Amino acid sequence: MSELFRTVVNFISIIAIPLMIAAFLGWGFSKKVKVYEVFVEGAKEGFNTAVRIIPYLVAMLFAIGVFRESGAMDVLVSILSPATSFIGLPAEALPMALLRPLSGSGSLGLMTELMKTHGPDSFIGILVSTMYGSSETTFYVLAVYFGSVQVKNTRHAVPVGLIADLFGMLGALMICRMLFNV
Amino acid sequence: MLNKIWLALVAIGLVVAVGKDVNDEVRNTYRNGIPFEVQWEPKTPAPLGNRWEGNIVVSASAFNQFYGIVSQTEEVRQPATITVVHSGNDLVSLPASDASPALWRQISKSAATKEKLSATIAAKNAERKTISIVLEPIRFVKLKAVTQAALDFANTAVQLALGLIGVMALWLGLIKIAEEAGLVYLLTRLLRPITARLFPDVPADHPAIGAIIMNTAANMLGLNNAATPMGLKAMEELNKLSTKAGTATNAMVTFLAINTGGLILIPATAIAVRAASGSTNPGIIIGTTIFGAFCATAAGVVASKLFQRLPNYKKDLLPETVEKREPRHE
Repeated sequence: MSELFRTVVNFISIIAIPLMIAAFLGWGFSKKVKVYEVFVEGAKEGFNTAVRIIPYLVAMLFAIGVFRESGAMDVLVSILSPATSFIGLPAEALPMALLRPLSGSGSLGLMTELMKTHGPDSFIGILVSTMYGSSETTFYVLAVYFGSVQVKNTRHAVPVGLIADLFGMLGALMICRMLFNV
Repeated sequence: MLNKIWLALVAIGLVVAVGKDVNDEVRNTYRNGIPFEVQWEPKTPAPLGNRWEGNIVVSASAFNQFYGIVSQTEEVRQPATITVVHSGNDLVSLPASDASPALWRQISKSAATKEKLSATIAAKNAERKTISIVLEPIRFVKLKAVTQAALDFANTAVQLALGLIGVMALWLGLIKIAEEAGLVYLLTRLLRPITARLFPDVPADHPAIGAIIMNTAANMLGLNNAATPMGLKAMEELNKLSTKAGTATNAMVTFLAINTGGLILIPATAIAVRAASGSTNPGIIIGTTIFGAFCATAAGVVASKLFQRLPNYKKDLLPETVEKREPRHE
C-alpha cells in the first residue's frame, strides 16, 4: 500500500514539470497568447526578485551562523533536556528539534550523523528523519518570502512559524512513539 | 518579534562564545604550554638535511588522560615533520588530516597556520624514541569560529539568492503565460471553497490565490525549484493587496504558515539519507512525516488566525497615525 503510494507520487513528481510546461505553453498558444514575448516579460522579474532578497538573507543567515558556531546549541540542549525527556523525546533528538527551524543544511547534517551513530532503523533514526520532513526551515522561508516584497515588520509571522514547528516536532514524536517505540 | 529574535541569536552566540573561551582559558582545556610525551616513529633512521618525517604515536588512553577527555578511542598516529634547529629547540609540524585525532583536527582550525599545528620539542631521550612536545598555544577557539561563521554565512546568503535567478526567471516566465491564458484563474475557481476560508481578505479570483495553489502543490510534490518562484510570485501578488508597505498582511502570514509547515507527500531528502545509511526500509517514514507536517501546517494556520486578532498585531496594519515628520534640515 505504502509502496504503491510512493510509486504513484514519485511518478507524478517526475512528470509534473514537463507536464506543466506543456500545459502552460499549449494553453497559452491556443488562447493566442504571444508566448515568447509574455515569457520574457515575466522572466524579467527573476533577477530583481533574487537581488531584493539578498540583504534579508544575509541578515538572517549571519545571525544563525554565529549562533550555531558558538556552541550555544549545546547549552540550550543541556538546559532543555530534563523537560523534554519528560515528554519522551530522547536527548539525542532534541538538537534536531531545535535546529530544524534555523538551518536546513545544519539539520540535514545532524540527521545524517544521528543516523550513522544510532542506525536509520532505530527509534532515534526514524524519529529524526520524520522530524526533518515534518517542518520547513522557518527562518529561511521567512527571510526569502518577506525579503522578496521588502516586508520588514513581520507581525505575528515569527510566533506562528515557531508554533507550526513546535507542533510539527510534537506530532512527529507522538506518531513515532505510537508506531515504532517498543 | 523578529527584531528581538534576531538580536537574541547574535547576542547569545557571542556571549556563549566568549564564555566558552574564558572557560577554556581557565581550565587550560588545550593544555597550552604543557609538555606532552609522545613516541616518535621516524620514516628514515636519521634526518634528511634538517627535515625528519615520521609519525607521532600516542596510545588512546595517554591522549585521553593528557587532555582529560574520553572521546579518543583509537591509537593516535599523527604524521609529522621535525625541523632540526641547531641552536634551540627542534620544531614539529603536525598537518591536520583524517589521521589526526578529532581534538587536534578541531583546534587546528584556530592555529596560527590554518589546518596545521606546530610544536616545539622540549625534551628528547638519547635515541629520540620518546619526545616531549609543547603545542602552540590555542586560544579563542569559539570567537575565531564565530567570526569565520559570520563571514561565511554572509557569503552563503548571497550565493543562495543569486542561485535563484535562473529558476526564478524560468518559472515567472511560465506563470506569466499561464496567467495571460487564464489557466491560473481556472485553478483558483477549482479550489475556491478552501481558499476563500483560508484567505478571506483576498478576492476569490485574484492571481495571488493561483500562485498560492501552485506553490502548495509544488511543495507537496517536493519540487523545490518550482515551489520557491511560485511562492515569491504569491507574495508579490499579496503585496499588491497590502495597504501598508513593509508590513506583513494577515494573508501573508497564513500563507507563510502553510509554507513553513512543509506539507509534503514524499520526503525525498530524508528517504535518500536513510537509504544511504543502510536502512532496510527507507520509505517507512512517509506516513509519519505526512502526519508531522500536517500537524505543523494545521497548528500554523490556526495560530495565524488567532494571533491576527491580538490588538498588538492588529494595530500594525492600521494606517500610520498622523504624525507629521518635520523635513530634516542638515
